[in-house]
Amino acid sequence: MTARCPSDLSLESHLLDPEHSPIAAHVYGCARCTERLDRMRREGEDFARNVFPLTVDAIERAAARPPWWRRPAFVLPLPAFAAVAAVLLLVRPAGPPDDYVGVKGDAGGLGLTLFTAGPSGVAPLRDGDSIRASAAVRFRVRSSAGCHLWIVSIDDSRTVSRLYPAVADRAEWIVASEQDLPGGAVLDGRLGPERIYALCTPHSLVWPAVESAVRAAAARPASVRAPAPLSDLPPGASWHSLLLEKRP
Amino acid sequence: MESGRSRVAELYGRYGPAVYRRCLRLLRDREAARDATQEVFMRLVKDMARLEDRENVLPWIYRVATNHCLNLIRSDRRHGEAVPSDELSLAAPETSDYPTRSLARDVLARFDEGTQAVAIGVLVDGMEHEELAQALGISRKTVERRLGRFLTAARKLLIGAGS
Repeated sequence: MTARCPSDLSLESHLLDPEHSPIAAHVYGCARCTERLDRMRREGEDFARNVFPLTVDAIERAAARPPWWRRPAFVLPLPAFAAVAAVLLLVRPAGPPDDYVGVKGDAGGLGLTLFTAGPSGVAPLRDGDSIRASAAVRFRVRSSAGCHLWIVSIDDSRTVSRLYPAVADRAEWIVASEQDLPGGAVLDGRLGPERIYALCTPHSLVWPAVESAVRAAAARPASVRAPAPLSDLPPGASWHSLLLEKRP
Repeated sequence: MESGRSRVAELYGRYGPAVYRRCLRLLRDREAARDATQEVFMRLVKDMARLEDRENVLPWIYRVATNHCLNLIRSDRRHGEAVPSDELSLAAPETSDYPTRSLARDVLARFDEGTQAVAIGVLVDGMEHEELAQALGISRKTVERRLGRFLTAARKLLIGAGS
């Protein structure tokens, strides 16, 4: 068999529907592909025996779970919301709180505060603060409008990392409020500067676009400490950044 | 699979193996692949209409699983956790020794996830550019551009490593 062997994706398709498979003629006559299919079938059996039974309930629960905006906590009667909003307006101080950290790049009512555990408990970090290189941090964002949020970082090797959402391909929608984000991040242990960005856009921005914008802003040497403004972002985008100096 | 299960469970039984195999291939660890499969599928079931689209579902699943697992690898590396020693080998084990695979991993780790996905798709999975473009939801031109960028930079790195 001299024809090029099909990809794993083609073999997956073949396994799902062998009767209509366009690669059937090849795989039945190709020892290598037969071997690959055998291995894939064994892995499929492993899934059926050891993965499916342990995980199917969680999958079904996830499918049954309504999106967050339809969950009961968010479906309070409007008057209740209005009352809560009125109380907040009455009790909210006119100025920023003591631990407010004003940082570079403020636009569109977006703020970002990082917290980490210190000797006297959890404390906010200020722009340029030193922090243990492997410290854990948490994020608080303040947004004056609902938006799709990314929290990302870039270090002096121009490695861009996604911090929130940690695993998704698209930004997470947040409502207009000040809120602590679930989870957090653990810094990578490398010494040097790391700039953390909060980026909000009216429409969801895919990860490659975010990564490209952040990397472009730090194109010059040592520009993680003094980056150019983020560019090539869609209209209505706002961002905020905070510099951390990672130390031993 | 059990009978009388929900439609979600049926779809999981049908497409779960493909997710598991993809995660196993990238993560090289059964436990990690099991967890990743669950996480990926919990995301997939949020879009049931797409999951029911037999014609186009597989490339989408492949894309979500690939991105998720690459992100896990990146996150593990970033957090300093141990990663399996032969994860993301760029060549079949029988044709390369450990230093070569290790070098390949180090080279790959220098690129963003988009480029990693293209490099793995073409060089590891042996996918055609058109097929990979469809699977990753990008244009064929982007596949070629990313691959070219990867190969150029990888060659420079490997020449540097060899000198």
